[in-house]
Amino acid sequence: MRDAYIVTSLRTPGCKRKKGAFKDTRPEDLLVFMLNAVVEQTKGLEKKDVADIMIGCSFPEAEQGLNIGRIASQIAGFPVDVTGATVNRFCASGLEAIAQSALRVMSGWSDIVIGGGLESMTYVPMGGNLPRPHPEYTQKMADLYASMGITAENVANRYAVSREAQDEFAYQSQMKAAEAKNKNLFKELVPTPATRYVPQKDGTYNKETFMQDYDDGIREDTTLEGLSGLNPVFAAGGSVTAGNSSQMTDGAAASVIMSEDKVKALGVQPIAKLKSYTTVGCQPDEMGIGPALAIPKLMKMTGTDLKDIGLFEINEAFASQALYCVNQLGIDQQIVNIHGGAIALGHPLGCTGAKLCATLLSNMRQRGVKYGVESMCVGGGMGAAALFELCD
Amino acid sequence: MPRKIRSAAVIGSGIMGGGIAALLAGTGIKTLLLDIVPPDLQKEDKNNPAARNRIVKAGLDAALATQPALFMSPSDAQRISIGNLTDDFEKIADCDWIIEVVVENLKIKQDLYKRIAPVRKKNSIVSSNTSGIPLKAMSKGRSKDFKQHFLGTHFFNPVRYMKLLEIIPGEETLPDILEFMADFGERILGKGIVWAKDTPNFVGNRIGVQGMVKVMQLMLEEGVSIPEVDALFGPAMGRPRTGMFKTADIVGLDTLAHVAKNTYELIAEDEDRESFVLPEFVNTMINKNLLGKKSQSGFYKTELTPDWQKIRKVIDPQTLEYAEARPVELPCLAAAQKAKTLPEKMRAVVYGKDQGARFAWQAVANNLIYAANRIPEIADTIVDIDNAMRWGFNLEMGPFEAWDAIGLKKSVTRMEKEGFAIPRIIKKMLKAGHTAFYKMENGIVCFYDFESESYKEKVFSPNIISLASLKAQEKVVQSSESASLIDLDDGVFCLEFHTKMNSLNQQIVEALHTAREFVDRQGIGLVIGNQAGGMPGAFSAGANLADMSAAAKAGRYADIELLIKNLQYGLQELRYAPFPVVAAPFGLTLGGGCEVCLAADKIVAHAELYMGQVEIGVGLIPAGGGCLNLMKKCLSALPAVVTDFDLAKFFLPVFMAIAMAKVTISAADARANGFLGPCDRIVFNRDYLIGEAKKEVVKMVDEGYAPPPKRKIRILGQAAQGMVAAEVSNMLSGKFISEYDAFLAKKIAYVISGGDVRDNTKVDEDVILTLEREVFIDLLKEEKTLARIEHMLTTGKPLRN
Repeated sequence: MRDAYIVTSLRTPGCKRKKGAFKDTRPEDLLVFMLNAVVEQTKGLEKKDVADIMIGCSFPEAEQGLNIGRIASQIAGFPVDVTGATVNRFCASGLEAIAQSALRVMSGWSDIVIGGGLESMTYVPMGGNLPRPHPEYTQKMADLYASMGITAENVANRYAVSREAQDEFAYQSQMKAAEAKNKNLFKELVPTPATRYVPQKDGTYNKETFMQDYDDGIREDTTLEGLSGLNPVFAAGGSVTAGNSSQMTDGAAASVIMSEDKVKALGVQPIAKLKSYTTVGCQPDEMGIGPALAIPKLMKMTGTDLKDIGLFEINEAFASQALYCVNQLGIDQQIVNIHGGAIALGHPLGCTGAKLCATLLSNMRQRGVKYGVESMCVGGGMGAAALFELCD
Repeated sequence: MPRKIRSAAVIGSGIMGGGIAALLAGTGIKTLLLDIVPPDLQKEDKNNPAARNRIVKAGLDAALATQPALFMSPSDAQRISIGNLTDDFEKIADCDWIIEVVVENLKIKQDLYKRIAPVRKKNSIVSSNTSGIPLKAMSKGRSKDFKQHFLGTHFFNPVRYMKLLEIIPGEETLPDILEFMADFGERILGKGIVWAKDTPNFVGNRIGVQGMVKVMQLMLEEGVSIPEVDALFGPAMGRPRTGMFKTADIVGLDTLAHVAKNTYELIAEDEDRESFVLPEFVNTMINKNLLGKKSQSGFYKTELTPDWQKIRKVIDPQTLEYAEARPVELPCLAAAQKAKTLPEKMRAVVYGKDQGARFAWQAVANNLIYAANRIPEIADTIVDIDNAMRWGFNLEMGPFEAWDAIGLKKSVTRMEKEGFAIPRIIKKMLKAGHTAFYKMENGIVCFYDFESESYKEKVFSPNIISLASLKAQEKVVQSSESASLIDLDDGVFCLEFHTKMNSLNQQIVEALHTAREFVDRQGIGLVIGNQAGGMPGAFSAGANLADMSAAAKAGRYADIELLIKNLQYGLQELRYAPFPVVAAPFGLTLGGGCEVCLAADKIVAHAELYMGQVEIGVGLIPAGGGCLNLMKKCLSALPAVVTDFDLAKFFLPVFMAIAMAKVTISAADARANGFLGPCDRIVFNRDYLIGEAKKEVVKMVDEGYAPPPKRKIRILGQAAQGMVAAEVSNMLSGKFISEYDAFLAKKIAYVISGGDVRDNTKVDEDVILTLEREVFIDLLKEEKTLARIEHMLTTGKPLRN
């Protein structure tokens, strides 16, 4: 098998669902912008050279429907013979898209593929516009349909993750993100045009565009006291709150993946190689433990030792599950989500896998870390994990 | 040009000002709420508009936060704009009515009127909500035009719920202004108007406060305890459960003292002036900040034990120590408990032999005599005084009605024997052979008029139809113990329920059928309504649970099923009858009561409407067509051309209303929740309800009424059940609901969604009615449902098992 090189990996800011900067920006616009951005920032790359565009999306319907991978790439101006696909593995969709793109390169079937992810949770809500769980199996297999919040409560209860520990974890996520933002460390973030509808003097509206260059969900001024005062939302007497859960967010991210030949031909400096990717299933009602299963599996598959991993991006769907996984794996918290996680930066479902890839690679480069792991839990009861190796 | 109140200014944003603004906004009037700029503004805030409006903003926020809600719908607040008396005063020039509700200080009020006079728009009305300051003093120095447009409009707290509106004419107020405000107050604001004279504290507070203070004085003399007083002057005497002292705690002892003192100072001539002097212990309490509810301690206080049990403690007037309030046992109260009617209860109390009864007699005798001596000083008629006490103090009977109830002649004989000074007018009245203040003549209520020394007809607005009066006029065409069909004239008939809480039973179900047959033969349309008393009163509190429970325990399921079927089809047949049916609900309209309304062609509702399908609380589901008709009502606003829509968006609110036992907080809220449709009407005056409903019937017939075609109904089928099961499972995991709640919620979804059928299927209405019945009977066989019913019957509260 050939190596798959990630030469460019970028993301939009993550902006709060319904209240944030992208609340009036169509998801297609976010994705089109990102596709163009990665092409522009890859030296010598022309759109016609891209074989396929695979886009992760958790709720590929309505504005995100009709195969957003094809729709967006055409809008972005890729030639008609460049294809596009939508990939769905819920919260791992973006990473799945990158992994499948890499596989295409590794197998020799394609030379250049773009993998990415998109979710506007404003436009298409979690669960989709028209959820229709199966009437019989919601009764027979209720756990399969359990809300994510309940699974987070289950993890907290079954593995004794205290409210205090969750709030502390959430607080740290906010503080790390705030610091990274203030020190301008989000090098993978591309200022992105956003839409707003501005009321005019005569009462009509005007569509305007403005640039958004920061993640607007970060709560710099949050306090532990503030977090500990929030009410649990998913269970009476529970421990999972709006403050120690991920934010619902809009965003897009994309990566350009190439074979070694193309890297050489174009003369680009690749960031990292995608070494391996794996998924694993678990009980749906405690889907949050996914990374604790997927990461060891990945280590075993690749013959890597956890000790050799210099940085982790483990998606913070909820503090309860993220903290459980970190503790269960025995990883040093200092190298996990160093610029904050989804509690502060948001979890735009299908985009998350692609977004965390951009963040991890940027951080590996900033810190000169050889091996990095990205992982997340996945609704329905799964974990996904990928191993990246920094290029010299 | 006909006078209109398009916009109003309320000056003063305290509890009364906020309450008045909320009421006006609720009736659709644009309202400007003003208050002073905070006197303690920091330098940097001097030009900050938000800081300058801080007081009025806090007043509006407090009105919005008050429970029970002062606003019928929080969105009414959008009709209220706020401002301060410095920057926004000019805006009152746009207002048709300016009502002053500022602090009770003559100088401040005079200064305010002086400022209002040059700004107010010509012909606008200015009124004061003062509870005690004489109008003539307030308007002193103002122009003739001002005085001609100036009057007293005295609301009671809480403004939304208290029916009384005292109108006090000034010396020069124009008659057409008074007439307009009385009609506006009654018809638009829904209040009961009492004509008061410009005397200290007007009618309600003069009589009410005299009664309260006198009771406190007599209590000490007679050695009766506070809980005994409250038991005696509670429901046994047709008074609110809060009795005298609990009411005083709610009012606030300082407020009570203020009114009493103010009255005392202004009534030098009063023969019983001393009955406005509070006992010393009350003054001591006020000095110790034991002011009642507002300071958490008054005559009563509630303490929590370490295990969260509430204990109610009561103060000892001698020692001012609190001790646990023990249940009161008095022979006269036991006798009253056994008595059926209110007059019988009252007689049991005042003519009892025990110490409590002797005390009650003295207090009552004193207050009756005091009231009689106030005519014509404070009001011209006994009707005004009785109305003031009923509407302003929630008494079931005013003083003169109560006097009739205990027997005028009998009581006066005893009063004379015991040395009470009998008012001259009463002696004269008795001497002329008149032994009652009220009597019914040919169905017309007459009252004794002291001035003419004869009986006069009690005059009502022509909008008011009195069912009691019609019944006395032998207008009942069908009747059973539980329901009557009354001829409202013009071919319109009223089906009146008259069971306890107007709960539905076998006889009422039968009446639905017989009334339909009768009106079909002899009438043009039907009103379903009643005029049961009480606050808020009950149009119908639902099916009779005790009957249902007994039948279920006896295993008479077939009988129950038949009864339910008869209710369902009784209502559906009315719906499709060739004449219009208008339901006129008010107050509690729950379960079956709600279903009666949902099945009607139109609802004319009182603004105070507490409507809901609360069957889940007793482990049941709506089975009188409630599942079907709430869903139909929600879908009915759609034009037929809208064929493709997400039915789930309609299903979910209907499901939630039933599964959460949603009870509306007003008619406006009922509209927001789909219980009332766009064509249903809201009426603010409860006394107008039957009359307005009749008008609707006549109008519908005039417009060429045709019954609605019977169409199939689109249902969400199994898709709904999947959605609900998934969400219910989450709520169960989160311990927000019990296993049985979850079970019931799924049953409700099953019925509303039409059972095991593909989504978007069109089914006959009968399908849902059949499911309602089947599930209802199944649930009656469940132990947990029976436990819920039992708990409700014994405690009055729902059981969450």
